[in-house]
Amino acid sequence: MKIDPSFIWTALVQLLSAIPTTLVITAVSVTAGFVIGLITALLRIYKVPVLGQIATGYVTFIRGTPMLTHLLLIYFGLPMLLDALSAQFGWGFKSSSIPMIGFAFISFSITAGAYMAEVIRSGLLAVNRGQLEAAYSVGMTTPQALRRIVFPQALAVSLPNLSNSVIGMLHGSTLAFTVSVVEINAKAQIVASTNWKFFEAYLAAAVIFWGLTLLIERITAVIEKRINLYNRGGVA
Amino acid sequence: MGAPFDYTYIFSYFPKLLSTLGITLLIVAGSLLVGIIIGFLIALPRLYRIPVLNTLARVYVSFFRGTPILIQLFLFYYGLPEILKLVHIDISKAPVLVFVILTYGLHTGAFMSETIRASVTAVDRGQVEAAYAMGMKGHQAFTRIVLPQALAIAVPVFSNLVIALLKDTSLAFTLGVMEMTGKAETLGALTQHFVEAYISLALIYLVVSFTLEKLLLMAERRLLRHEQPDSTGNRRFRLQRKRGYRRLVAGIESGKGGAEA
Amino acid sequence: MIKLTHISKSFGRHQVLKQIDLTVEKGEVVVILGPSGSGKTTLLRCVNYLEKPSDGEIAIGDYRLSCKHASKKDIHQLRQKSAMVFQQYNLFKHKTALENVMEGLVVVKKLPKEEAKTRSIALLEKVGLGSKLDAYPSQLSGGQQQRVGIARALALEPEVILFDEPTSALDPELVGEVLAVIRKIAKEGITMIVVTHEMGFARDVANHVVFMDGGVIVEEGPPAELFNHPKEERTKQFLKRITPELNYSI
Repeated sequence: MKIDPSFIWTALVQLLSAIPTTLVITAVSVTAGFVIGLITALLRIYKVPVLGQIATGYVTFIRGTPMLTHLLLIYFGLPMLLDALSAQFGWGFKSSSIPMIGFAFISFSITAGAYMAEVIRSGLLAVNRGQLEAAYSVGMTTPQALRRIVFPQALAVSLPNLSNSVIGMLHGSTLAFTVSVVEINAKAQIVASTNWKFFEAYLAAAVIFWGLTLLIERITAVIEKRINLYNRGGVA
Repeated sequence: MGAPFDYTYIFSYFPKLLSTLGITLLIVAGSLLVGIIIGFLIALPRLYRIPVLNTLARVYVSFFRGTPILIQLFLFYYGLPEILKLVHIDISKAPVLVFVILTYGLHTGAFMSETIRASVTAVDRGQVEAAYAMGMKGHQAFTRIVLPQALAIAVPVFSNLVIALLKDTSLAFTLGVMEMTGKAETLGALTQHFVEAYISLALIYLVVSFTLEKLLLMAERRLLRHEQPDSTGNRRFRLQRKRGYRRLVAGIESGKGGAEA
Repeated sequence: MIKLTHISKSFGRHQVLKQIDLTVEKGEVVVILGPSGSGKTTLLRCVNYLEKPSDGEIAIGDYRLSCKHASKKDIHQLRQKSAMVFQQYNLFKHKTALENVMEGLVVVKKLPKEEAKTRSIALLEKVGLGSKLDAYPSQLSGGQQQRVGIARALALEPEVILFDEPTSALDPELVGEVLAVIRKIAKEGITMIVVTHEMGFARDVANHVVFMDGGVIVEEGPPAELFNHPKEERTKQFLKRITPELNYSI
């Protein structure tokens, strides 16, 4: 079989239709992951009894196991659990009504939550303790101090790591093909299956992912620049 | 979907899954070896700013960091034989494991090169000056002064890379390699006890990554013994410093070890 | 003897050193003074080529090097003639005090390990650190680190030791112990070029004081003369600012 350059272009065009799915999976998992991560990080930093330990266990488990196993466990385990509960309480709910992409959303959010918890935690810890004390000294309450002083600074510190998390989730979304969600990777497989030009199809998929990654990095750089400008103007 | 949950299956799957742990670790070790070599080859032109090669190295790193490992796996599996066919080398009969190790190696190499580069740059400039000032030659200063210190700085990031790699190997089953994840899938399909198989699988991954992390932490302690306190008197202070140091290291994070796979 | 001839150095368009000539006799202690940005540290770093001079000639002992045509090998040879004590100590962080001193003897001078060790221990005892042989730099105070740095320089038995503001990174209470060590070795007749802000030290220990400003040597001479009867207006201004007590002691 010969390499067919023109098919790379054909595949690229066909793959465009799968980009929204990939982006939606990424956006949902990053957004939900951020919320989960923030809660988890705060539980750990403030050493909340019981919940703090659960948070630590959650982070350790997720970070110590492949993202694929999270997806498979949710995909096979969640319906089993829900159907059992449903039968017990007579909810009349059937797990088969959950769309495939729903499993990807849930599982990837859980994955992202654990990774982002670490990013957020280290960001919060990096903010100088003196900042909090200064906020108290002008009479702010703890929530005020956190929201107005600590969070903005922590966000600036963790921006590069957050950006890496987003890229990680973008790349991780390719796993959704194992639960039959047609994102870019699955689409590449479909496109190639008619004529066996897998190499060309995956090359096109790689180009799209590469482009998306560079775009995220560029956006991060722009945000970083703006934050730094603000910092310089405000502080120095 | 599947048979009713029975936790005894989790235990009965352990030995079956562990029988394929060797393949998983083989992929990890093989890719690490390839990755370290590639990492150095890619880092050197960037450290010494060699024209052309420097740009090529940047594109290489950008590509492997910019695309999902899963896509890379398929790309090399399908693409490499065809490209090599153009120069009349036939590797279509090579075992799948070769492609897998090669791809993971190339992938890890990109992250490794960033780690090496950042660690070498993180070594204090004064250290090199002191070496030159006492009359050392360039290579002596590099191997005796810069490298040992860079190594110590790199270990925490390296440790993250190894664990990320371990987790990434779970994708090798997509090419039909019978490593742990592949085995778990087969077991699940055979008995319809999928959940039990995957719980078992997750637990093994957890133990293996935990063990690897501890081993690498020991290596880090050894390499960083010069950063450790001699008396209890200043221990508090040192611990603080050590935290600061680790934070610095976190700052040079290669970007891997994130949520991917 | 060290002889610098027409040493010039530019960073981009900014000329930091303008045709500097300086001669240091064997066994002499030369102190270079000057406001920050005067080029004194750059000049010192040019002597062992940590900065590459744009032009000029450096001669240490019978070894001469023309800066325009210096090869890698020439630079390496030149560096073996001198040793340096840094402002930030720059001890090798991953090596103990003893290993720091031994390093140059083993790697550069190719001495057998045992001999290097005996000599290094003797030197560390000389700077008062006989009990800290196995301590890592992170376990030593700044003053102790700098004394190891001095022992490391002495070990190489160079023709000249270059001191780059050896006490300015130290806490005030640690300055004394380091200056005492430098004084001690100065008495042994080791050639030294010292960049410092310690006026008392310059006065007591130096044989020759050089005042630099704006990349040129403004004035030089024996300390008694330069401190008590400066000729140039710039020197007077500088001394007045840096040592107000001088006005009274005269």
